[in-house]
Amino acid sequence: MNQATLILVVLALVLLIYAWRRGGGSHRRGVSMGWHTLKRTSPLLLVAFIIVGYVNVLAPQDLVSSWIGPGSGWQGLLVGTGAGMLLPGGPYVVFPLIAALYQAGAGLGPTLAIITSWSALALLTVSFELPFLGWRFTAIRLGICLIIPPLVGLVGTLLFGG
Amino acid sequence: MRKWKPDWTTLTLAGVALVLAFVAWGQGGLKKVLDGLAGGGQTLLSVVPLLLAAFLLAGLVQALVSREVVEQWLGSSSGWRGILLACLGGALIPGGPYVYYPIAGVMLQSGAGLGVLMAFVTAKNLWSVSRLPYEFAFLGTHLTLIRYGLTLVIPPLAGLLTEALFGGAISRIREAVR
Repeated sequence: MNQATLILVVLALVLLIYAWRRGGGSHRRGVSMGWHTLKRTSPLLLVAFIIVGYVNVLAPQDLVSSWIGPGSGWQGLLVGTGAGMLLPGGPYVVFPLIAALYQAGAGLGPTLAIITSWSALALLTVSFELPFLGWRFTAIRLGICLIIPPLVGLVGTLLFGG
Repeated sequence: MRKWKPDWTTLTLAGVALVLAFVAWGQGGLKKVLDGLAGGGQTLLSVVPLLLAAFLLAGLVQALVSREVVEQWLGSSSGWRGILLACLGGALIPGGPYVYYPIAGVMLQSGAGLGVLMAFVTAKNLWSVSRLPYEFAFLGTHLTLIRYGLTLVIPPLAGLLTEALFGGAISRIREAVR
């Protein structure tokens, strides 16, 4: 069991005990919610990991490092931002894919740009946003957030190296 | 077991997987196609404990933070205190866009300011506590800490900036959606 798993297990146990002591059955509700999400997303997970497998086997190191490698500069940050906007699915799908790209040689800056862009600019979420907040809000939000992913990537590269 | 209904995300990703399998077949025949499948399966198996813990944690956060609490909290908040509160609410509210946008819609109609709404959505996107386990699990401690650290100031900043620049547009936005 690695470090990340251990930390997650400990956190889950702490929350589980807290929920149990709070009463009202929230500990049981939490476990069943987690289980249902897992069950509902398992086909998605399976497909996502098949993609991860192919990314590893096809070993597109040359492709990855020339587009979004550590030395890819502005181009890498912009490509990463664009890719992040297009990524579909929840965190359990997107993070394994980004991890596979990182292992295939993506630089720190472009990787940060992809994560931040998927978080703040994912185009698929806009269809949920429009009916509740309207196009003016969406336009303002996208306008303000558009510079964030390249900026985060740039600052990350400057502070923590390629 | 209930019948599984295909959704667009799964279908899109399945299409991508098929294209990749085809490329693998072109490069190394059936062997490479099977190698990819086996490699993916192996990675999946190796992260099963991690996935179970992450989904359990996300489910517990979901059960502990109800949408009523967040709505009540942020109903008509405004000003910089409202913006900070909205950041906190956005960070804590679990669930995908089908959960937090309806909540943001309720906040809009019950009088929340534009900066508050921006802070709420941006904090959900960048500070999300329920997303943290997955990011941590797959990208590792180092990358996750850097990412959260670098985006820490953005949600309150985006809220304040939006309020200062576009705050007056809130009534038109509210009317248009109603």
